[in-house]
Amino acid sequence: MIPVSYFFGLSLLLFALGIIAFFIKRDLITMFMAVEVMLNAANLAFISLAKASGSLSGQVIVFFIITVAAAEAAIGLAIILLVFRQKKTIKVEEFRLMKG
Amino acid sequence: MNNLAALSPLLCVVLGALLVLLLEVLFNKENKSYLGYVSLAFLAGGAALCVRSWNKLYSFFNGTLILDNLALFFFLLFSLAGAFIILLSLKYISDQEANHGELYSLLLLALSGMMIMVSSPDLLVIFLGLEVLSVSCYALAGLKRKDEKSAEAALKYFLLGSFASAFLVLGLALLYGAAHSMVISGIIEYFQAGTASKTMGLIGLGLVIVGFAFKIALVPFHMWTPDVYEGAPTPMTAFFSVAPKSAGFAVLLRIFLDFWGASAETEFVFWALWVLSVLTMVVGNLIALRQTNVKRILAYSSIAHAGYMLVAVLAGDQSSLVFYLTAYLFMNVGAFAALIGMSKKGKEYNELEDFAGIGFKYPWIGGTFAVFLISLAGFPPTAGFLAKFYVFSAAVRVGLVPLVVIGVLASLISVFYYLRIVVAMYMREPSPDREVTIDQENPALFLVLFLCLYGVLQLGIFPGNILTIIRMAVSFL
Repeated sequence: MIPVSYFFGLSLLLFALGIIAFFIKRDLITMFMAVEVMLNAANLAFISLAKASGSLSGQVIVFFIITVAAAEAAIGLAIILLVFRQKKTIKVEEFRLMKG
Repeated sequence: MNNLAALSPLLCVVLGALLVLLLEVLFNKENKSYLGYVSLAFLAGGAALCVRSWNKLYSFFNGTLILDNLALFFFLLFSLAGAFIILLSLKYISDQEANHGELYSLLLLALSGMMIMVSSPDLLVIFLGLEVLSVSCYALAGLKRKDEKSAEAALKYFLLGSFASAFLVLGLALLYGAAHSMVISGIIEYFQAGTASKTMGLIGLGLVIVGFAFKIALVPFHMWTPDVYEGAPTPMTAFFSVAPKSAGFAVLLRIFLDFWGASAETEFVFWALWVLSVLTMVVGNLIALRQTNVKRILAYSSIAHAGYMLVAVLAGDQSSLVFYLTAYLFMNVGAFAALIGMSKKGKEYNELEDFAGIGFKYPWIGGTFAVFLISLAGFPPTAGFLAKFYVFSAAVRVGLVPLVVIGVLASLISVFYYLRIVVAMYMREPSPDREVTIDQENPALFLVLFLCLYGVLQLGIFPGNILTIIRMAVSFL
């Protein structure tokens, strides 16, 4: 059987990859996917920590977080669609109207 | 004790939100004002239910929703903020091409999210409330669908907000793994008990603080704030600068209430917040100095005010923090109301040059704006002075003298940019090529201006009544 700590390590690794992708990728959909990866990495951390401590509540919490992530995806994709309709691009460099 | 009364204010607001959505779909009228009045009625109903629950300590869902007096006080504060924003939006949305009835529904949902945040001792429920609030706010920022700035504001708010949420979730996971509990008291017990290493719990707590710092815009997690505040429709900016901030501070207040001095590890968190507070006060005020857009000046000023509020959290003084939040509500909503007044159909005047000579041309808007700015700068006899005075004196009492010195110096810097607007309004001649004419037929706006003026002066001159209520609210915990 695979030890629980491996899952925990994997979740931290995924989270770090999500952060890196958020900063180096330049189009909105991929940045949004990076955030989703981070959220799901946190979910994995919840599950592995719940398994390690033997309590069930951590696994239930994950369902709530999945729901939140779905709500965020709905509103986020709507916003990305809105800016795409205005500018016909989703490159992040194009969104620099306000500065200072 | 389970009692449905604990749920009733929240239910009232959520029902209002759903009803407004239905009405919008069913009737789809050109004039959306009636939706605003419906939402106002439901907010008033929620507020009445809050007043009824005062001193009763109702709870529901096995103690994950507790209506103590502090939560009720914040409910009332949020309802008041929501009512102000609704009144300000009535005319604004039809004038500025944001005529969507969903605004009122989203606003009520955001308020319900904040109510969930302040009435729960469970960090998971607090997180869910925060997300209800944030998701509604992302949509509110992009309400002017044809405006590129508004869409950009929504985009930035969404991307950085959800990025911060991910940190918050990972922080919660680590805290859960360390303390085996999501309830605030359980987490505090974990930090107080035993001698085992608490590194994981501390990292978790740190990430949770980062997540919250993002939402309440503490430096260095404030990058999104000025852009979002500038691009969003002005009534929504007023909402963002007041309401989520109060909810975030209410949560910080609950988390750190028994936290200071609990163990050697908490010392570390204390100094981390100390640094954040200093950075927020100094950087917020310094960057505000070189802004020329009044909306952006107010955005940086709201960042700086979060720094002063953090001083109250560090001092562990609840009543001064709650008083500050109350005073801040009146003066900041008032300032934004005056800014909304500076508009006519299809045009908003936000640049500093537009304000030249306004004080004499439009005495009501100019005069009240000057009072709110003076209050934000912290001059007596306004609410802003007393609020700062209470916070700083509470901090001196627990020996945070260096922090107070920095805070006072930072607020001295802030006087410059607040007064710059006042000077522009009263002492500068309007330039002939910038014709500013505004549409003053907006009774709801003047009602809000008047109520905020009343609040600022009442809290600044006779704060006794409200202080008694605040002391009742915090001593009942």
